Amino acid sequence: MTDQTVSMSSRLRQFRLSDKSFATAVSVGILVLMVIFLVIPAVSILLRSFVGDSGWGLENYTETLNSGRIRELVGNSLTVSAITAALAVSLAYVYAYSIQRTNVVFKSFLRIVVMTPLFAPSLVQAQGLIFLFGRNGAFNRFFGFDFDLYGFWGIVLANTLYTFPYAFLILSAALAAADARLYEGAVVMGAKPMRIFQAITLPSTRYGIAAACFVSFSLSITDFGNAIVIGGDFNVLATEIYNKVIGQGKFGLGAVIGVLLLAPAVISKLLERRIARGQHALITDGSKPLVIGINRSRDLAYGIYAYVVAGMFLAVPLIVLLASFVRLWPYNLSFTLKHYSFDVQNGAQPLWNSIVVALATALFGVVLVTIAAIVVQKFRTPLRGPISFLAILPTSIPGMVLGLGYVLAFNNPANPLNMLYGTFPLIVLLYIYYNHAQGFLITTTSLKQISSTFDEASTMLGGSQLRTLFKVTLPILWPTLVGVAVFFFMRAMVSLSAVIFLITPQTQVAAVSVLQLSDRGANNQAAAFSVCIMLIVLAMLLLARSVLWLAGAKNITLIR
Amino acid sequence: MKASVFSGLMAALLPATVYAGDITVYTAYEEDEAAAFLELAKTAMPDINVNMLRLSTGDLAARIIAEKANPQHDVIWGFAASTIVNPEIADTLEAYAPAGLEKIPTSFRDGDNKWFAVTGYMAVLCVNTERAAKLGLDVPTSWADLTDPKFKGEVVMPNPASSGTGYIQVSSLLQMKGEDAGWTFLDQLHGNIAQYIKSGSKPCNAAASGEYTVGASFDMRAIKNIDEGFPMMMVVPAEGAGNELEANALVASSKNKDDARRFLDWTLTPEAVNAYYDWKAIVTLPGGSLPQKFKDAGLPEDTNSVLHPTDFAAAGADRDRIIAEWQRRYEN
Repeated sequence: MTDQTVSMSSRLRQFRLSDKSFATAVSVGILVLMVIFLVIPAVSILLRSFVGDSGWGLENYTETLNSGRIRELVGNSLTVSAITAALAVSLAYVYAYSIQRTNVVFKSFLRIVVMTPLFAPSLVQAQGLIFLFGRNGAFNRFFGFDFDLYGFWGIVLANTLYTFPYAFLILSAALAAADARLYEGAVVMGAKPMRIFQAITLPSTRYGIAAACFVSFSLSITDFGNAIVIGGDFNVLATEIYNKVIGQGKFGLGAVIGVLLLAPAVISKLLERRIARGQHALITDGSKPLVIGINRSRDLAYGIYAYVVAGMFLAVPLIVLLASFVRLWPYNLSFTLKHYSFDVQNGAQPLWNSIVVALATALFGVVLVTIAAIVVQKFRTPLRGPISFLAILPTSIPGMVLGLGYVLAFNNPANPLNMLYGTFPLIVLLYIYYNHAQGFLITTTSLKQISSTFDEASTMLGGSQLRTLFKVTLPILWPTLVGVAVFFFMRAMVSLSAVIFLITPQTQVAAVSVLQLSDRGANNQAAAFSVCIMLIVLAMLLLARSVLWLAGAKNITLIR
Repeated sequence: MKASVFSGLMAALLPATVYAGDITVYTAYEEDEAAAFLELAKTAMPDINVNMLRLSTGDLAARIIAEKANPQHDVIWGFAASTIVNPEIADTLEAYAPAGLEKIPTSFRDGDNKWFAVTGYMAVLCVNTERAAKLGLDVPTSWADLTDPKFKGEVVMPNPASSGTGYIQVSSLLQMKGEDAGWTFLDQLHGNIAQYIKSGSKPCNAAASGEYTVGASFDMRAIKNIDEGFPMMMVVPAEGAGNELEANALVASSKNKDDARRFLDWTLTPEAVNAYYDWKAIVTLPGGSLPQKFKDAGLPEDTNSVLHPTDFAAAGADRDRIIAEWQRRYEN
């Protein structure tokens, strides 16, 4: 803090005071919501880890930790998730770099294509991979290859595709902001591109890389869908929870593993300050936006890379689309539209339910994560520590665990919010808090790059913190926020593992219909239903894009 | 569309209200058969509004246990008997003897009348005939055939730790061979198993779509996949098929027990029993006859003749021990 600010502080005390009480009120509010809709449900189920056959105690822990099995499962989970995170983050970094720092063509297309794993329920993604690379998949059957997808590398492949979009969203936000002055200076001093990358680009995206690694690792270690469908006999911690809770109805033993899975969030919280220390704001009062220079060979190299990656991402939705139009994949490939007349319970009604739920999730989700991110980044309140930890905690909680936690917490007649149970609002809240970490990290990554000099300047000019927020911060941040809203919309259209415990006959959502079709072996009809979900998500993207266009924000992209 | 969105919003804003005449039924029947039975039930009892929630056995069990403090359902319908006896679920039930209960043999219902089973399913092998022909494999007729080295890497089975169907397969083999010989047999079989899949229906779907030649699964999955048009056969293992009952029960906390009881009574009416015969291979009450497509799939008129006489009580009591031993042998 400069001498000037200190000397002015007495004059500004009035503003500071009102700012302070405002900041405190907002922080408390956001924390209370997190406690009600995240902590209490999670604790409700994790407490079960202390309830054994003979009452309260550590019985479940000793049983779990003494079996030789647990060591192998921990080892398997760590290996799969570490390799997934390394692959997804490095691939996504280069991909985001291609889009943000080179002149590859059709950037909007490239941005949307890698989002496709978020367009359909994950079980459809996994089924699509089997259609492609399974033992009787398109490659083996029609092109004479001999892949065996199932097992360790199958999970790594599926999880890399699944976590890539999250890593990309975070890294792209990190690479989007750059101060041209630094780069110009480096060039003037004769630095080679590699040196510039090491000295400027990499350090300035350090927080983004750390956040992307954490998200990718946590999503991978808590996901059981891919591990069950493609993992074969390769068992991980998440499938062990599935065994205990879904297979054997033993919540206590499943909860022990749920507790173990919280470790990544705790460790990353401990590491966060170290990583963030080197991160400085990129957009300051004197910033000049980076202009990407002309360099044909660079653009060609990155272009080839980007289109190869995009091709891999496009293959899965294309094969799902194909399967939805053939009689019986892969045996009878004659064209039919019959899979689009859905004979599943409630027909197409769940699609409409999902649209309403997803719109509400997008709206309230973006408001809540933005407030949380601003509290953590901009407010000097002692609550920012707990809030920033809780904000990222959901990635470490498997959907199944959080969903059951919601049942335990909100189905309790003693809970004043009991009336929410069995309604759409509770499903919306579950979606928001289940996906909170990713939305929060994308927003925070953008927010970190906006220099505090704006706040200081605004404060010195007599603007309150609140005014600075609305006049300075949000106008810089808003394109990111529209992207976060679309992200919440997509997640609410497709998330499955948590919500199956909350739906009622009246509140069925689209992803559950896909599960029911897939359960009864109607793969082609499940594919058709997923195509409808994908189209809705795509329509939403285009709609949001046109709204931006009409609002005059022509050069602002939805997915950064 | 507008109406749908509107009704969605209304439902969102208004908490669910319970009217007299409303009951909520939780079922693990497959989605299409549940819909067919429900249609009939609604016609038979037009004054009752039946809300049905369908989930797979494991998902539904987890949900019932989680909701235990304040159950949302009045009736459990078509739910694995080996799971309904889990104390966390059994504790939520109330004894009820519907009219006509005595027609169900005692081995298919609970001694304290907490549950009764009108239908069931059996363990079968799903065999992909296209893949078998391509690999030059004869269609197996028994579990023993699957231990032939020619089947190495071509057989998938459900994992008994996560799938009830997987558990009845393992437990029936252990019951019929005795534990020592049973485990020795499972050791041999293990050498040929490509994957232990974590669901009971997926092995059959994997065989149907040609990922593997043989998928151990259950009868309805096989019959429906054949019906879908997959190049597939159903084989009832010659040793005898392990089987599972699908139980119905009254939930003790129900606020509308009169209608819940009426619904349970209906599940034993001749009309309902006839419908079961259209969809299920095991019906515990006399009535209709086996549909042609079941016979085409390879089931005899009297399905009892191919079943292994399961000791359900022992299967339930030994579950934890058998799963632990199974995991010790085949998963580490």
